[in-house]
Amino acid sequence: MKKVTLLAKVNNGKCKGCKICEKVCPVLAIKVKDKKAVVDADACRGCANCEQRCPFYAVEMVKREVPLEIGIDVSKYDQEKIKEICEKANLNPEQTICYCVGTRAEEVAAAFLAGAKTPEDVSSMTGARTGCTVECIQPILRLVQAAGYELAQNKDGWQWYGVTPTAWNLPEDVKKKYGSRGFYFEEDKELLDKIVHTKCEGGEHHDA
Amino acid sequence: MMRKPIKPITPKPSQYGINPSLVKTRVAELPGMVSLLLKDLFPELPDTIFPGGEDALKDVRKAAEDALMKVDMSMIKPEQSVNVLCSHHGFTLFGGEPYAELLKTIKDIIEKRTGCKNIRLRAGVGMRFRETEEYIKRYGLDTYYEGKAIGMAPVDEGIPIETEIGTLYGLKKVYDADWIIHAHHTDVREVHFHRQVDKAVKPFGMSYARIETRSTYHQNLGPRAANFVARAIFESEFVQSKFAFAAFLNVGPHGIIGVDVDNDLYALNDRATFIGCQLYGKIMTLLGEIDECIAVLDFPCPVPYVFSAGVIYANFLGANTDLYDLENPLPSYTWYTEAFYGKNGKPILDNIPPINPAIKMCVHNYAWLGYPSAFFSEHIPTVVVGQEQGDLFDTDPLNMKYMDYATTIKTTEAAMNFAYRATGTDKVIIFDGAMAGMNVSESLAKLLIEKAPMISEKVDKVLLPKWFKQRGVDISILKELQKTQK
Repeated sequence: MKKVTLLAKVNNGKCKGCKICEKVCPVLAIKVKDKKAVVDADACRGCANCEQRCPFYAVEMVKREVPLEIGIDVSKYDQEKIKEICEKANLNPEQTICYCVGTRAEEVAAAFLAGAKTPEDVSSMTGARTGCTVECIQPILRLVQAAGYELAQNKDGWQWYGVTPTAWNLPEDVKKKYGSRGFYFEEDKELLDKIVHTKCEGGEHHDA
Repeated sequence: MMRKPIKPITPKPSQYGINPSLVKTRVAELPGMVSLLLKDLFPELPDTIFPGGEDALKDVRKAAEDALMKVDMSMIKPEQSVNVLCSHHGFTLFGGEPYAELLKTIKDIIEKRTGCKNIRLRAGVGMRFRETEEYIKRYGLDTYYEGKAIGMAPVDEGIPIETEIGTLYGLKKVYDADWIIHAHHTDVREVHFHRQVDKAVKPFGMSYARIETRSTYHQNLGPRAANFVARAIFESEFVQSKFAFAAFLNVGPHGIIGVDVDNDLYALNDRATFIGCQLYGKIMTLLGEIDECIAVLDFPCPVPYVFSAGVIYANFLGANTDLYDLENPLPSYTWYTEAFYGKNGKPILDNIPPINPAIKMCVHNYAWLGYPSAFFSEHIPTVVVGQEQGDLFDTDPLNMKYMDYATTIKTTEAAMNFAYRATGTDKVIIFDGAMAGMNVSESLAKLLIEKAPMISEKVDKVLLPKWFKQRGVDISILKELQKTQK
């Protein structure tokens, strides 16, 4: 759940139509039309990427007159399907994947059941990846794939490029080669597996 | 051993913090506060060149020049281009000038030794995408680099890098030159993340990297295996084809010790591991002896990065455990740990350690936004000084919930008085960047003075051998370094 209190606002006098704002928006809410950036106020989730990356300082973040409340009510969706998607992505449904917004894996999984198909849909519907927009991209991509959707990168943008290695697909020879340098590959995979398979709520002994 | 308080680092103008004029009182100025010098607590710490006398900055430059004259630069030809890579955190160390001086010296010596003129500065960031733009201006690096100094953010255009473990992504602007110079420092900073494993290599997987790579580190591999990400990128054929050398400020918790320049980053990394484990390990272990305290944030940096005795607040949150002991998979605070708290507010696994229970209250006198910090205010009673500061946090996309759990108090004096009454302790640790030492209350100073000799011996005789063994570092290199520091 996220309360969106901010909105991007473009200063047309400064905007040069360079399109960098378009390339870094995680919800595709800003587009250049007739050489000026235009913000879709309903779609903006207030992450400030456009404001922070505009080379001409043409975007400012302003307070919304009426904040937007966004999020998915997880209880309304099939809990077994939510668990299945999370497990396939090697995530515990209750684990937090977006540290800025506080979004948990189960909410992202529920977003797919509510119609999301892409990482941008997930961000728009849950608010995940609309804080720093950095650290949660991989679990979101993993969850999109686990929900059965193909990842299609925006070739005109820099929103994301692709999935990367995980604890579950590291090459064995690499693990062996660097085993003595403090990386604890196997032990960390075991830890992550334990998290994935621990039933919540309330910790490992609560309702296991 | 107790001295009058050290002057804290002054508030800095920044889009990520309140106007410095709003910081009316520094906690170190209040009654009952004293300072301790780290060299008094641990006399075996090596001498520093900065802070020092009036010529301290010149001494940093001299050390950098001497080290840069010895490294092999023959691969750089006059007609080629060079990117000097740096990161935001260096500018928060000891006022920022020493790191800026290193960056200026690198440019000068490369020009002098190679004839190359096309030298650019590429400055990476954490999550405050314009932070290094501010530093570039503040330290005159834009003019020094003749208009060729730019900030980079992890959402900027990327390039794929093929590694031993698969495709990872770097920032295009990092690699758009014939050669790259890795300009960094040995300050440990986020021990809760890197655990002093390949710390010297880390920027290749972080401030020089795209979001996909950084997310791999924080979400895909686990708390210790994550540290392989940087090595995977650095060892790639692509990065190796561009890497010329690394130039590091050798930083201890008490100041700049020297400058280390090497074509072999792993050799430098082993030496950095020694500094990180022994010099920082002692003060960090000592802070773990604090039984109860009020933690004060009072430094121009985001909440987790404010300093006391060279240790950041985020590390103090985990000082109830041994952050260097790799047998402990999860520190009390790291993002994996935060991720593993369930909806009931408790850890999903029973063996996840709690946030340092010695911290009875946090007084946020002055600290910046730009890092997701709601986890801290959710778990530690937090008072924020000044409505303006509270309001600023409510405008930060990374901190929309920080003030959901914190309260504001009008003045620093009132906040401290409230903290004393509410917690019942008069032990105070101030994270205000006091150079060469730390500002604390007299009662806490007494405890630290009493415990320091025992901790020093424990680290040297018991913990260091264990820490080094866990990291597989080459002890012979470290023994050589110890000799040169004596």
